Amino acid sequence: MTHEKSNIRYAVELRQVDKIYPGTPPVAALSDVSFSVVHGEFVGIVGASGSGKSTLLHVIGTLTQPTNGDVFIDSINTNGLSDRALSGLRAKSVGFVFQEFFLLPGFSAVQNVANGLLYSGVSSAEREERAKAMLDRVGLAHRMEHRPNEMSGGEQQRVAIARALVHDPAFVLADEPSGNLDSQNTSAVMDLFTKLNQDGTTIILITHDLEVAQISTRQVTLKDGRIEGHPDMLSGVVHE
Amino acid sequence: MSDRSQNQRDVLRSHLSFFDLVRVGGSGLKTRKLRSALSATGIMIGIAALVGVLGLSSSGSADLIKELDALGTNLLRVEAGGGFRNSPTSLPADAVFMIERITPVYEVATVSSIPGAVYRNDLISDGRTQGISIKATDLNLLATQRGSLQAGVYLDDVLAQFPAVVLGSVAAQRLEISELLTPKQIWLGNNWFRVVGILNPLPLAADLDRAALIGYGIAEDLFDYDGIAEVIYVRADPNHILDVREVMAATVNPEFPEEVQVSRTSDVLEARAATRNTFTNLFVGLGAVALLVGAIGIANVMVIAVIERRNEIGLRRALGATRFHVGAQFLIEALVLSGIGGLAGIVLGLIITAVYATFREWSILIPEYAVFGGMLGSLVIGGIAGLYPALRAANMSPTEALRTS
Ligand SMILES: Nc1ncnc2c1ncn2[C@@H]1O[C@H](COP(=O)(O)OP(=O)(O)OP(=O)(O)O)[C@@H](O)[C@H]1O
Ligand SMILES: [Mg+2]
Repeated sequence: MTHEKSNIRYAVELRQVDKIYPGTPPVAALSDVSFSVVHGEFVGIVGASGSGKSTLLHVIGTLTQPTNGDVFIDSINTNGLSDRALSGLRAKSVGFVFQEFFLLPGFSAVQNVANGLLYSGVSSAEREERAKAMLDRVGLAHRMEHRPNEMSGGEQQRVAIARALVHDPAFVLADEPSGNLDSQNTSAVMDLFTKLNQDGTTIILITHDLEVAQISTRQVTLKDGRIEGHPDMLSGVVHE
Repeated sequence: MSDRSQNQRDVLRSHLSFFDLVRVGGSGLKTRKLRSALSATGIMIGIAALVGVLGLSSSGSADLIKELDALGTNLLRVEAGGGFRNSPTSLPADAVFMIERITPVYEVATVSSIPGAVYRNDLISDGRTQGISIKATDLNLLATQRGSLQAGVYLDDVLAQFPAVVLGSVAAQRLEISELLTPKQIWLGNNWFRVVGILNPLPLAADLDRAALIGYGIAEDLFDYDGIAEVIYVRADPNHILDVREVMAATVNPEFPEEVQVSRTSDVLEARAATRNTFTNLFVGLGAVALLVGAIGIANVMVIAVIERRNEIGLRRALGATRFHVGAQFLIEALVLSGIGGLAGIVLGLIITAVYATFREWSILIPEYAVFGGMLGSLVIGGIAGLYPALRAANMSPTEALRTS
C-alpha cells in the first residue's frame, strides 16, 4: 500500500483494473482502467450503452471485485478484504444513488434515509435525527413522513440522494440518477448535485447523457470498457 | 504495517445490533400482511391441533384417572357363566366362604336377582317394568363399590329385615323420585316398599344403577330367596389383585373353574381411557401433517420473498449489510412468521380445550409442555423452513441483486 504520490489522499483510485465476465465468449467489461478521484471532485463518467459504466460503478462501489488490478477507497486497498470488511467500507465510505431509486415501499422518507446509517453502528435515535437533517438539506423537510408511493419521481430520487449522503461518505456514486426522471425533475436533481458538490461532497456521476454530464467538473469517457481521452483527464490531481 | 491493517479491520466492520436485526426482520412482513397471515395459518392450525389434543386428552384423562383412583382398580366381579354345560349354571353355595379364605381379599359383597317388577304404585302395575330389576344385596355393597348416596340412607341390619329399598340412580329417575323429604313408597314384587335411599351412579357396576336394592332378610321372607349369590364383588390388595384374579375361578368352583367368570370392573374405564389415547394419536398425527404443510408454506412464501425483494437485498448490500445480515434478516422473518402462527395456534388450542372441556364438564388441565413445546416447535419449524431462503438471500451477488428487469 505504498503511494507514489503519498501526499495526496484519493477518494477513489483504480490501477489497471480489468473486469472480465466469465462465459462463452468471456466479456471484457473493463480493460486496463486506471483513474482516480480526489476529495471534493465532481466527475462525470460517460459512455454508450454497454460500454461498461455500471460495471465500473460496481467495481468502485466494491459490490464486485475486479478480475485484475487494485481498487483503493479512501486510500484503503480493497483487494482481499472480507465480506464484512467490504460491507463496512461501503457503510462508511460509499453512498449509492440508483436510476430506480430503490426506496423501500411501506417505509416513510425518514425511515428510508435512516437506512443509510443502518449498518454503521449508529443508534436508532441518531439515525432518525440525522435522516431528518439530511432530508431538510435536500429540500424535503415537508415530506418526512410520506411513503415513496406518495411522492413524485424527483422527490423519491432526492430521498435516495439523502440516503446516500446521510452517513457522510467519502464519495457518492450515482448511476444514471436522472434515467427515470422527466427534464424538470432532472434539472432539479442536477442542481442538487451541484449544490452538494459546492458544499464539499465528492460525486461520481455515471450517465450516457452528455448534456447531464456537463454539470460535472471533469468528464471521463468510457468506450468498450476502456477509458478514452488525454491521460491528464484521468487524474483529478492534474485537473486541479 | 500489521498494526495498521489490524486498525483498518476494526474500522471496516459492518454493524447491525441484534435489536435492529429483529426490527428489520419483522418489518419485511408489514408490507405483505395478508400473505404473511395466510402463510402462518398452516403452523397455526397444526399447533392448535396439537395443543388442543394434548389439552383435551389430559383434561379428559385427568378426570378418568381421578375417577379410577377414587374407585380403585382392585375390584373383581365374580359370576357364573361361560361353561360348556348347557344347563344354566350358578355359583356354588359356599363361594363366598371360599373367597374369604384368600388372604389378600379385603371385602366381599354379593348381589342376587329377585324375580319381580317395580312400579311407582299398585295402580299402574300393568307389566311395563321400566327396566328396573330387583336385587337382594349385602350391607357392605356400597362400601365395596365406593359408592355414595344422593339422598337418604343405605340398608342396615334392621332395614334389611323390612320392606325397605334403596334405588339406583337410574331407577330413581325412572320412578320419578328425586328426593326423600316426604316418605316415598313403591310397588315392588307385589309388595309396598319404603324408599330409604337413592344412590349416586356406580361407575364400577352400571347394572346396579337400574336396580332396586333390598336386604337378604326381607328377600327370604317375601320372595323365597334361596341363599345362592349371583354376583360376588371382591375387593383385594391392589398389589396382589392379579394373583387373586388368577386363583379366583378355581377357588370358587374347584370342580368346574371354567364355569366361573371373573372380571376386573375398572377395565371398562381403562379401556375408555385407551380409546381416547388412540384418538389422541390420530389428532397428533393430523397436527404433525398440518405443521409440515405450514413449514412448506412458509418456505414457499420466503423463497418468493427473496426473489421479489432481490432489489432490496442489493440495496441493503450497497448500504453496508453483510451476507450474514441479509441471511439473518430473512431467517428472522421466517421465525417471526412461524412464531406468530405458533402463538395464534396455542391461543386457539387453549380456547378449544377450554370450551370443549367446559362442555364435557371436565376439569381443564393444559400441560405446560404443550404450550412451551408448541412455541419451541413452531420456531424450530420456522428456522428450518427459513434456512434455505435465507442462504439464498445471503449468497446472492449484490450486482445480480441490483439488476432490474
Ligand atoms: N453479469 C454479466 N455477465 C456477462 N456479461 C455482462 C454481465 N454484466 C454486464 N455484462 C456485459 O458487460 C458489458 C458492460 O455492461 P454494463 O452493464 O457495465 O454496461 P453499461 O455501460 O452500464 O450499459 P447501459 O448504459 O446499457 O446500462 C456489456 O457488454 C454487458 O453485456
Ligand atoms: Mg448501466
